[in-house]
Amino acid sequence: MSSIRLASGFDPVRSLASLAEGAHGVIVEIHTHADARVDRLLALGVTPGARIRVLQTFPGIVFLCDQTELAVERSVAAAIFVREEVRR
Amino acid sequence: MSCHLVRERAAASPRTLTLRARPLRIALVGQPNVGKSVVFGRLTGRYATVSNYPGTTVAITKGRSLVGAEVCDVIDTPGVNSLHGAITEDERITRDVIAGRGAGLIIQVADARNLRRALMLTSQLAEFDTPMVLALNMIDEAWTRGVSIDVAALSMELGIPVIEMVAVEGRGLPELRDAIARATRPDVPGHHHANDRAVWAHALTERVRRTSTFSLAHVQEALAAATRRPVTGLPILAVVLYALYLFVGVFGAQTLVKLFEDDVFGRAINPASVWLADRFIPIPLVRDFFVGQYGLITMGVTYSIAIVLPVVATFFLMFGFLEDSGYIPRLAIFCDRIFRLMGLNGKAVLPMVLGLGCDTMATMTTRILGTAKERLIAILLLALGIPCSAQLATIMGILGGISFAALATLFTVVLGQMFLVGWLAARVLRGERSEFILELPPIRWPRLGNLLTKTRLRVWWYLGEAVPLFLAGTALLFTLDRIGALAVITAAGRPIVTGLLGLPAATAQILVMGFLRRDYGAAGLFQLAHSGQLTGVQAVVALTVMTLFVPCVANFLMMVRERGLRTGLAILGVVTPVAIGTGAGLNYVLHTFGVRF
Repeated sequence: MSSIRLASGFDPVRSLASLAEGAHGVIVEIHTHADARVDRLLALGVTPGARIRVLQTFPGIVFLCDQTELAVERSVAAAIFVREEVRR
Repeated sequence: MSCHLVRERAAASPRTLTLRARPLRIALVGQPNVGKSVVFGRLTGRYATVSNYPGTTVAITKGRSLVGAEVCDVIDTPGVNSLHGAITEDERITRDVIAGRGAGLIIQVADARNLRRALMLTSQLAEFDTPMVLALNMIDEAWTRGVSIDVAALSMELGIPVIEMVAVEGRGLPELRDAIARATRPDVPGHHHANDRAVWAHALTERVRRTSTFSLAHVQEALAAATRRPVTGLPILAVVLYALYLFVGVFGAQTLVKLFEDDVFGRAINPASVWLADRFIPIPLVRDFFVGQYGLITMGVTYSIAIVLPVVATFFLMFGFLEDSGYIPRLAIFCDRIFRLMGLNGKAVLPMVLGLGCDTMATMTTRILGTAKERLIAILLLALGIPCSAQLATIMGILGGISFAALATLFTVVLGQMFLVGWLAARVLRGERSEFILELPPIRWPRLGNLLTKTRLRVWWYLGEAVPLFLAGTALLFTLDRIGALAVITAAGRPIVTGLLGLPAATAQILVMGFLRRDYGAAGLFQLAHSGQLTGVQAVVALTVMTLFVPCVANFLMMVRERGLRTGLAILGVVTPVAIGTGAGLNYVLHTFGVRF
């Protein structure tokens, strides 16, 4: 599962778990071994294409997806891949 | 075919009165926490329990509403995120309401700020091929966040009426009634894959939604951030707990209880009842049944109204405030790591905190947890260690008056025991833990009217549950006392109660009462301590045992209903020895080290 770099830009694709507080970007992919995880995330609006912003990284990861504030444990965040928009 | 035509015509002209064998069934469906229950209340004039976190609409509420000239049945359903794939019990219930029993019309209530999520559900609801209306609720909050939606375009794309509303203020309600009469079957592409559905919802959202970057909700956002960050969140939690202690433990359990017990009952009601009974009831046995040592009035009513009611009312008021403010789910972030060691995840904080109000209510709420193993562990821990409000107040009332060390000892022992049992259960029981994924509702200032209604309903519910059992328990004690069985029980319990636990013999009957209702037993202990019959160490031991002791009858019945008789008995079999063993151990340690509180 090496990271995928989309041709459209130079912004790196990183897992949500590795992003710093305040980072933002667009979800490109959700990896999983269990369908239950994807179902729950999709139902909460965590889908490819959704914009997210990291609000907090400790003790749990909290991020804003659209207007929904979500808290997840690290292993879940590690499966969500985001094309980070780097402020220039 | 002709039937089909008639329906279509009815849909086209809203003023036509359609004749039906049964009233039209309208199902209110939507994601958790989007305001379904408020819309329900507005449509039917009935109140459904409204809270700011999922799992509160555990039973289905039904009501009648007049739409145009037609009387309809409106059904409030539990919140759902999805109707496909791995679904929760709530989601199954909702699917049954729509498909199994046949809803004639669906109103999807959506949070206007989260259109994309709502549309994913719309696409699933469309598969039921039932006339629909989409109500975008909380549109005011969307506007303050700079989100606006092109309703006409959305309505065109979905092929159903779409309206905007602010249900808590009743805005958009006439439009909703009007839209119900115009409801049509949605016209959206079918999706087999959740992913296709997500792509469709995303694209549609981008077409009809305009987002500007400004946000007027800065204060709210700052407060929301402060409550979930450890640096600020833990001090806030300490303040909240202290406020809870002041309001429930001091104002409720001491000031109000004193007023009711000493003044209202002690000086007025009880002497008056005794005087009346002396005059009008010639038979001593009957007289004692009402106003004796185990009298219905002097004990049953006094306990329930004077000791328990003030505590429960103040707790539910405070709890409702925290609930409506959106604060409680934020605690889940802090608890997640500890709960994981007990085979749960942070989400379990919701039933645990509710358990501080009433364990029976909380046992019902464990349904929001993801797996069977988690539900079982949560129910076990609720039964074992979470004191309900009346009990908590008694603990604070008795031990707070002795010393802080006494209070700290009890909480350390109880929490330690819960952790140990949870840790073992997580390893012994088979099954999985679910991943921690939780939506945090926005921080809001609670609405006073909603808060008062909710508190009033909860207090009524509580009294309806508690008072009959208090009276029945008192009658049972009276009978046991008269036939001499109470003396036998006290004697039989003596080796354990006075020997192992080092408590006065009278505590045995209080433990029996504690099984009927924990708060009833707690009230008994309160009186015992009040009259100076317990030393500091005895009070700590007795309250620890009472807190860990078997759940009350109502809680036990709820466990059986939720998880079956065998599991219920097994939990009883675990909890009782743990409670007595812990009490005995604590008594031994405190005596060995010569601790005095």
